[in-house]
Amino acid sequence: MTDLSPSLQHLGDALHRATTRDLRRAEVPPRPRRRRRMVVALAVAVVGIPGVAVAANALLSPSEVAQSIPQGTLALLDTHPTCTTVTEAVEYDCTLHAAPSDQGGPLAGQWMGTVEPTVDASKHVNGGCRSLNAAGTHWRCYIGQAAVRQRIIGAGFLGQYAPGPGVG
Amino acid sequence: MTSSAVTHTDAALMAAARTDPDAFRELYGRYAERVHGYFVRRTRDDAAAFDLTAETFAQAWLVRARFRDEAGGSAAPWLFGIARNALLMSVRRGAIERRATERLGLMGRLDHAPATAAPDETWADGADELLESLPESQREAVRLRVIEDLDYDRVADALGTTPSAARVRVHRGLEALRHRLSPSKETP
Repeated sequence: MTDLSPSLQHLGDALHRATTRDLRRAEVPPRPRRRRRMVVALAVAVVGIPGVAVAANALLSPSEVAQSIPQGTLALLDTHPTCTTVTEAVEYDCTLHAAPSDQGGPLAGQWMGTVEPTVDASKHVNGGCRSLNAAGTHWRCYIGQAAVRQRIIGAGFLGQYAPGPGVG
Repeated sequence: MTSSAVTHTDAALMAAARTDPDAFRELYGRYAERVHGYFVRRTRDDAAAFDLTAETFAQAWLVRARFRDEAGGSAAPWLFGIARNALLMSVRRGAIERRATERLGLMGRLDHAPATAAPDETWADGADELLESLPESQREAVRLRVIEDLDYDRVADALGTTPSAARVRVHRGLEALRHRLSPSKETP
């Protein structure tokens, strides 16, 4: 171990406390399934709350996922995506039939690994995609919490209202 | 786990860190100065470098289960891959990436005002200097496998080769990076 500056030592101590707390939180047993189902049912029943878009991800078809891609990112407008299901309601493989524009996105040929949010028809963030090639025409998309687990979007961003495609 | 009498490899620490924050703390101790130095050289802003260092290790903690020992026991290529992504994401978004630190509630535990510097494209200059030092065939293979976290089938698809050939390219590239990132060498 190297000798750390006081500020990095302080950060390390804070990181240790935060990771210890995170681990304890992860060890808390999950709530009973019955209660979880009830919460999802309530969310679906209530119109107008951001969580609805997320709770309803199990209902998304590949074409709805495809439509969510340009709604999340300005540079992906008019790219005509199509998607196929990799894992139902979780993971989709998507192809753009036109290359992304340069409106706020990476330069042409530099899309590999870029991540972008997806936005559903109700204008709420419902997941995100990662570009699998430099041209930005092949994407792997994840819906709901899968996008958070993939570190494409933050947990706090999922379900947020997004009235227009994002830039950058 | 963190006996001072035994020196564990980074990979052993990462395996232990799945359930042991002490092990992760030890890994932090090994790399914090170098990761911080990486950000200082690119941002030329101490506060921004500090925040990005925090974000890098917060992300590393959150995705630690995805670490695979593919560099002879060294976590350096993986960790600097996370650092690079945090830097590029900040440049791209025009704001310092803080999602992982916020998720862990890390900054609230520090007596530290968030950096106010606005990322600009000059920060990304040299961000890939390590990768760029590799031959092209290895560079892209390492990028896809370690930074983009694709499996070997997908790496092979992207490179137009077979999974076993992709595996060889990744292995050779990571060996080269491990050598360059070893503590006796100049930091990235």
